Amino acid sequence: MSLNFSPATNDPQAIGRREALKRTALLLGAALSPSILAGALRAQVPATGAAKPVYLTAAEFATVVAAAERILPRTDTPGAADVGVPAFIDLMVGEYLTPAEKKTFLAGLAEVETASAQAHRRAFSQLVPVEQDTLLKRIATAAEGKQGTFFHLLREATLAGYFTSETVGKTVTHYDPIPGPFQGCIPMSQVGNVAWTR
Amino acid sequence: MATISGAGTRQNTYDAIVIGSGISGGWAAKELSEKGLKTLVLERGRDVKHGDYPTAMLDSWQFPGRNKLPQAALATQQKQNRTGYTTHPGSAHWFVNDVENPYSEDKPFDWMRGYHVGGRSLLWGRQSYRFSDLDFEANAKDGVAVDWPIRYADLAPWYDYVERYAGISGSTENLPHLPDGQFLPPMEMNCLEREVKKRIAAKFNGRPMIIGRAANLTREHLGRGTCQSRNRCIRGCPYGAYFSSNASTLPAAYASGNLTLRPFSIVNQIIYDEAKGRATGVRVIDAQTNEVIEFHAKVIFSCASAVASTFILLNSKSQRFPNGLGNDSGELGHNLMDHHFKVGATGMSDEFADTYYKGSRPNGIYIPRFRNLNAATKQKDYLRGFGYQGNASRVDWTQNIKELSQFGAGLKADLIAPGPWRFGIGSWGECLPYHENRLYLNDAVRDKWGQPTVTFSCEWKQNELNMRKDMKASAVEMLEAAGLRKVTAFDDGSAPGLCIHEMGTARMGRDPKSSVLNAWNQVHTAPNVFVTDGACMTSNSCVNPSLTYMALTARACDRAVSELKQHNL
Repeated sequence: MSLNFSPATNDPQAIGRREALKRTALLLGAALSPSILAGALRAQVPATGAAKPVYLTAAEFATVVAAAERILPRTDTPGAADVGVPAFIDLMVGEYLTPAEKKTFLAGLAEVETASAQAHRRAFSQLVPVEQDTLLKRIATAAEGKQGTFFHLLREATLAGYFTSETVGKTVTHYDPIPGPFQGCIPMSQVGNVAWTR
Repeated sequence: MATISGAGTRQNTYDAIVIGSGISGGWAAKELSEKGLKTLVLERGRDVKHGDYPTAMLDSWQFPGRNKLPQAALATQQKQNRTGYTTHPGSAHWFVNDVENPYSEDKPFDWMRGYHVGGRSLLWGRQSYRFSDLDFEANAKDGVAVDWPIRYADLAPWYDYVERYAGISGSTENLPHLPDGQFLPPMEMNCLEREVKKRIAAKFNGRPMIIGRAANLTREHLGRGTCQSRNRCIRGCPYGAYFSSNASTLPAAYASGNLTLRPFSIVNQIIYDEAKGRATGVRVIDAQTNEVIEFHAKVIFSCASAVASTFILLNSKSQRFPNGLGNDSGELGHNLMDHHFKVGATGMSDEFADTYYKGSRPNGIYIPRFRNLNAATKQKDYLRGFGYQGNASRVDWTQNIKELSQFGAGLKADLIAPGPWRFGIGSWGECLPYHENRLYLNDAVRDKWGQPTVTFSCEWKQNELNMRKDMKASAVEMLEAAGLRKVTAFDDGSAPGLCIHEMGTARMGRDPKSSVLNAWNQVHTAPNVFVTDGACMTSNSCVNPSLTYMALTARACDRAVSELKQHNL
């Protein structure tokens, strides 16, 4: 699909970065909804909804589905679960992480469940989003300044799984696999105010 | 080794043998075959025809692990993985299996190799700069190692010649120490780069920031296509838009009708005939059948890469040359060099928030050497110099620099939009040729064909370490002067080899007592053997070396044919 807009006024230097981002989000929403986004979601949801983990247990996978979705939630663009991030993380744990990383990751998942049970007497996946966010934020804050913690692994895999997915690559970020001669300086609006698909 | 087949038979005899099909071998194949010599190219790996690039058009979602290789695959490329980029699923198939191709390290050395037709010409960084007399005179002026037997004037016409064919995009700058060439139109700088260029020029005399000179085509050239700004060069380019043996020199060699290319042919040694005082051919191990075969020719070009050519010479022992062919000087395997790099600085900019760029430019900016050019730029604590390569780009999700505790809808929106501008430069520094930095044959560790393997013993010394401090400090100084914020220095360290510019182990020189090759890349004591890859280098400048290998190879081929005509070989 094409993400070319011609916004009437778009001078982010004047309006500031935060406002520009907000506008970008609005523009994206306008561009993607309803039909294309809905189509993308329809295509993805049944697949991930029905997806069974190959390497993680069902309980671990449920935690991953919920946590990834909190890191990159569905808004006017697809969320992590919409584009198959949980299945990607399952594969990462099974075949791509080093043994040490895998150990860290599985221990981290168990810790999430322990914390959830202690605070709420429910599985993490059964919590409401605000409870999930509070719990994850605590883990993230504790990991700040460290390297290679569970949360680092979870966040990195979620971002990678999301931004390298076909749905995001083709309908959210700017997809042009054969750009032609390099142009050094163009208005951001020419690519729909979104980053290039990598 | 068991039976040797084909020895002395007519069908195994050619005018010229070229060992290797990378940047140097491809040029030797083209030049020799176009000059009418029946030429046999021996390549130890598999054949790769232009266009035979299986991952070139794949998007990230078409790889099972997206941007990663599974642990099982990584286990076979533990050393190749040291670069951080070679073992990407888009390019890992171009790099060797480290389990099957072992080498040893007395000191850390990162040896990155591709065993296939085209070799590392498919994988190179494509930065293409000429050496100058600042480089060719350096050893003599500094009293380091030995003098180059050539000067810039000897090579200048050959730089012209190979640039016209290879296609180098770049800008004319009139810098005596970075000579201009036969350029295709330069690539564009992006908005922030243009501004940084102006600001550095305003604050520093003699530190021009120019667009990189790259072997990427900015317009159609000799039947090859224009660069499409995909920046997936390392996978192989279906458009032929960067220079490789596969897209450029080998098709030309085939077109001559004089080329025979034999893949899976590991050259074990060069055969030397004591009575004739000449090499007469090579002994090959077929990588698939293990059969040992001899091929014969009047001239032999060793273009197997610095390390592999040196291995072959060291392994070519005879009564006349008990320590390796042409090794009367004892310098064979010594004076190993690479560039030291991975040191520089990055900074952020809030400007140009509404601007972006179209495409992914496979090239960056370049700040040519500005140290030790003359008395005014003389440094107290080190010789030679360094250049910077870098670029500005808008940060994207792969370089996510946000705090961990920021996640959710805000993070997602931020990562979907182009991030803030970041400008970074990293430095490539010259290293001195030290006799004790070397590689040698290891008889204790054998490869699967029973050949000895290579051991490296090489390290940076005080000159390089002193230079690195300046490489870091000067980067910070320039980025701060350019008005960037959050300027951060880095020195990630780089073991020798990691820059993949290994060279110097069969150096050129004026005196057979202290060098292996003469001024035309001929082995002093076996003049029908030419070595024109990185092994021949007497010093290593701070610029990327491949263009110089091309020019030296074309020049040596011209010499070989002329000497053959005069019956001197």
